[in-house]
Formats: sequence, C-alpha cells, structure tokens
Amino acid sequence: MSASNEAVLSPERERCLGGVLDEIVPPGPSGLPGAGELGLANRIGAIADLALVLEQGLSALDELATSRGAQDFAALAQPGRLELLNEVAAAQPAFLPGLVFQTYMAYYQHPRVLEALGVPPRPPFPLGYEMQPSDLDALLSDVRRRPKLYRD
Amino acid sequence: MAEETVDVLIVGAGAAGAALAWSLADTRMNILCLEQGDWMDPAQYPTTGLDWEVRRFGDFGLSPNSRGRSEDYPVNDSESPIAASMFNAVGGSTILYAAHFPRFHPGDFKVRSLDGVADDWPVDYAQLEPYYDLNARMMGVAGLAGDPAYPAKQLPLPPVPLGVLGEALARGFNKLGWHWWPSDSAIATREYEGRAPCVHLGPCIMGCAQGAKGSTDVTYWPPAIRQGVRLQTRCRVREVTLRADGMADGVIYYDAEGVERRQKAEIVVIACNGIGTPRLLLNSRSKQFPDGLANRSGLVGKNLMFHPYAMVTGVFEEPLEGYKGPTGCCIMSQEFYETDLSRGFTRGYTFETLRGMGTLSAALMGMSTGRIPWGAGHHEAFAELFDRTAGAVIICEDLPEEHNQVTLDPELTDSNGIPAPKLNYRLSDNSRKMLDHAVARGRELLEASGAKHTMADAPLPVAGWHLMGTARMGTDPSRSVVNEWGRAHDVRNLFVIDGSIFVTSAAVNPTNTIQALALYIADRIKNNLASLFD
Repeated sequence: MSASNEAVLSPERERCLGGVLDEIVPPGPSGLPGAGELGLANRIGAIADLALVLEQGLSALDELATSRGAQDFAALAQPGRLELLNEVAAAQPAFLPGLVFQTYMAYYQHPRVLEALGVPPRPPFPLGYEMQPSDLDALLSDVRRRPKLYRD
Repeated sequence: MAEETVDVLIVGAGAAGAALAWSLADTRMNILCLEQGDWMDPAQYPTTGLDWEVRRFGDFGLSPNSRGRSEDYPVNDSESPIAASMFNAVGGSTILYAAHFPRFHPGDFKVRSLDGVADDWPVDYAQLEPYYDLNARMMGVAGLAGDPAYPAKQLPLPPVPLGVLGEALARGFNKLGWHWWPSDSAIATREYEGRAPCVHLGPCIMGCAQGAKGSTDVTYWPPAIRQGVRLQTRCRVREVTLRADGMADGVIYYDAEGVERRQKAEIVVIACNGIGTPRLLLNSRSKQFPDGLANRSGLVGKNLMFHPYAMVTGVFEEPLEGYKGPTGCCIMSQEFYETDLSRGFTRGYTFETLRGMGTLSAALMGMSTGRIPWGAGHHEAFAELFDRTAGAVIICEDLPEEHNQVTLDPELTDSNGIPAPKLNYRLSDNSRKMLDHAVARGRELLEASGAKHTMADAPLPVAGWHLMGTARMGTDPSRSVVNEWGRAHDVRNLFVIDGSIFVTSAAVNPTNTIQALALYIADRIKNNLASLFD
C-alpha cells in the first residue's frame, strides 16, 4: 500500500472516514473489530492516490448529514449512515471501489483481526506451521496399481 | 576500460547460469558471471513481516512492469494475452518460483515423431537422465518414488506434506480414478546440505526466508564461488561483441554506477531466459549479423512458448488449513498429459494443486468475484471463503509457432537505454481447446473433492513465468539457433543455456530441464575443450 506524508486528513475528515470504514467493515462476531474502530482512518487517509476522491466523498457525506440535522456523518446512527453512504457512492462512483480495496489491505493484515480469525497474529517466518504427515501408502494404493502412463 | 580477458563469461546468474558455473568450476578456468540484479537478503523477504500479503502488490509482485525494482527492465507485453514474469537477481526467477520440479517425460523430446507436430529435440531423456539426477542432489529435490507417470527416479528428500487440503484433493482424484502423485519439489523437507528444513510457512513465491526452497543463490552459487567462480552483480549487459573473424570476444555492460565497461572472454555463455536472451542477441547487431547475433536462421526471438495456464478454485464447507504448506507444491496430476485426439487437441496438460489463500487474498478474491460484499454480510461471506478454498493451476503444453516472438521495442527502453523486449503472442486453437478441457476437468476434480462452488480463470494473464523456444536447439542451422549442446551454429564460442533453447515446452515447469541441459552442456564443453571451436 502506498502512503504519502503529503496527504493528511483534517480531524473532521478523519472522523468522517472512521465512520465510513465502520460501514465498509463493521464490527463482527468473535471479537472482530470494525475497520474504523482499528484506527485505520489516519493510515488510509494518507494514501496520496485516494486524496481527491476521499476529499470529495467525505465532504459530501458531512454536508448531507448536516443538511439532515446531524452534527456530521460520524454522529449519525447506523441505518442513516448507510443510506447516506449509498447516496454519495451513487453520485460519485469513484468514491468507494478504491477505498474498499485499501480498507481490506489494511484490515486483513492487522494483528487484532488475524487473532479474531484464529490465524496466529505474527509473520509466517520464522515459526511457520506444523503439518502432520499423511498415509501416502493408503492414499496412493490405486495409483500405484496403474500401468505405465508415459510414452517413450 | 577493458578488464582482463576471462576464459568463460556467463551472462545471467539464474537457474541455468548457476548450474553451468558450478559445473565448469572444476576446470579451474577463469570464470566470471555478470548479473544485472543483486544478492537477495532473506531477512527482507515479505514473510518476515505481518504485511507480507500486501507486498505482492509491490516489490514482490509477479510483473516486472509494476514491481518498480531498479533491476527490472520493462517488457512490452501489450500484444500478448499472457504477461511476462521474470526476476533479476542472483538466483534469477528461482527467487520467486514455487519450486515445482518435475522432469520432462521421455516422449516430450519426441513430439514430432509421436504426434506429428512441432519438432523432435536433438537430445533425449536418456542423455539428460544423469543430469536430472545430479540436479536433484544439488538443488535438494523432495518427492516420492514409484510414480507410474515417470521412469524410475530416486530423489534425496521425502515429499512435501499434503496437509488437510491435499488429502481432500487426493480423495477427489481417487474418487475419479485419476492419476495423482505428491509433487517433485525443490524444497528441503529435511535439513539438507546445511540448509534448514521447510517450516510450511506458505508463500514460496515471495522468496523463502527459511532458505529451504532451492533457489540457486543458496544451492549452486555458494559452492561455485568457493571453487573460484567470480560473480559480479548489478552489471547489465547491453550487447555481445564480435571479433573480425566472427567469433564472440566479450560483452559491453553497465556497472552498478551506470558506467559503460567491456569484458573480454574466450567463451561467452548467455543465460538470460527466453525473453532476455533473444533481446540480448537481437541487440548485438554487427555487419556480420545485421539481424542480431547468431541469427542467420532468422529464428532468434521466434517460437516463443509460454505455458498457457488455467486456474480452478473450489469453495469447501470445512476449513482446509490451506495457509499451511508450500503454496504451490502439493499434488501433481498427469491424467491428461499424453495426447488423446478424442479430446479435440494435441498434447496435454498437468494439474498442480494449490494451497489456500491468506486473509487479505481471500478478501480481495471475494471482492473481485462479488462473493464478499462490504457492509452487512461481509463477515459472514468472508467466513465462507477464508480457509475454505483449494484449487489447482493447469499447465498446458504450448506448441512452437514462429509468429509468437520476441523483438526489440522501437521506443521503450530500460533505465540504461537498452531497447526493451516486445512480445507478440497469440493463443492457438489447440491451446484454447486444451484450456477449455482443463477447466471442465478441474471443476470435476474439485466437485469430487467436496467443493460446493467452483470458479475458473483461463488463460491466467500474469502467468508468463515459463519462457521458452526463442533460440531453439537443433542439428539443422537453417531451423535452429544453437546445436545439440547449446553452441550457436553461427558463432562457435557462443553458447545459450536457458529455456530459449527448448524445442518444445512439455506440460511441466521447465526449471529442472533447463538446469539438466545446462549441466549436460557444461559436460560437453569440458569434454571437448581441445576442439571446442571446430
């Protein structure tokens, strides 16, 4: 994932993005956190390639929310947030696809998520994983009885 | 500034260059290898970090065009449905390969005689067999004796474990009555020759941090260097130079600082893969060779063969522990390998089963296939996919066709200004029919193994990692570029030893055969030193 120190979200936009991330990947079973809850807004907001679509999308969300009486998008209750997000996504088709991709990129390598999914929250190296041997004699018994399969 | 003249100059430190260098080392000749990449640091491989999956979109991606490494050169593959994939480093593409290590079948060297298409090789399985055996010991190949799909062979290490996923697929193969066998894999399944054993950490195709995978930086190069072979990295060769008498006399290259240098040699060996080699030869024009060095046949760059790949994936009910074990090495099936014209095509294919995906790969696959929505339903859909997929890639034999070729791009260059290679390639009807058949059989296999849904993709777009045919070997100088032991017909001290010299592609991964040929050619050089240029 690319990140640029030049793309910095304002506190308002970061708060809004946190709300959006929790809609993209909401909290789930077995202790799975929402993407916003993980604090990924700051990291995703710093991706230079997303800066323009994020600014346009997030500002539209906050404007819509305040026009409907809420303090901002993040302050809305759940069904309201989803409705507004769908509305803005329909009006700005470029808003969500890249954002969803980057959300998954950040979410699915986070140690809290790995742990909740039952995957050891560590790099694969150096421990790797244990594997048990198979009974190859039993599994291959039919294949071993086959005649020569190759041509000379 | 000219360096001292060496006896043997090898261009490229990958699979073939390493094997030949090691073999020639015992002659005590002055041997130098120039490699445009550098030594890899296993401590920097992706699997040493939590963000390992992300890095396949960056510096450990498959395509040189998107990877952004300074060692990469661009490839214009806009006119090919299959994009090239190679890696420049000490070890070459063995750094990223999955370490599948099958041999060719005996019949793969006799395609014309057996099936009336393509050509026969000027060497056969019997001639290469001792070199396959030697390569198995040097690379550390794991496998199981007794496969009815092959002549008898002994391998030094036990096979890679099947795991829960492999056993499910094995039962599927057995239900269908199809051939399958544990993969021959260049993976140390036990401690071997000072290398640590595999710890089943998964993504071999991003470099092996454990050092268990047989890449040539950890197999052939250490003993070759101990025996006196010199290896200079970050040296990018631009062209092979010629003497007035038509013999090669060395190369011009750019060193790590970009300074142009010359290296003279008595013997020049090209080992730059099936795209890099024709690129170098075509860029080495002269009055004697206006169409590229050693190209009087007109065949340099032509007959480009990939292996068209299909991939089938099944979604299963139960967890498969697919994140455990070497990602590509588990089971191989050659049920549909030999020609059966009733299928509607000539030649055949190999199944190679795949382990499962990591968390991010599962999420992105779900995103791209529409199986995992964002928002409500996301976690439930993810749970149905993650650790519940298994699949196979299918390697289809590609037949040589002259219109499939590598040329020099008229505009695109690398960072040293050397023209980039341009690929013109199209799938044949034979390949399309083979892919269709393979996908149908692949779905059948997964359903027999218990999959509740199947998905397929063919041809795989970024799957041009087997590069063959573009400086083919043969006994007729009008129909081949090099002779039966890799020596250029037109330039008697010039050798080519990588997959370029393949006459046909078989339906298996080529690295083992590339290296067996390199060892064979090295022995022929050693045995003919007195009359090498006759």
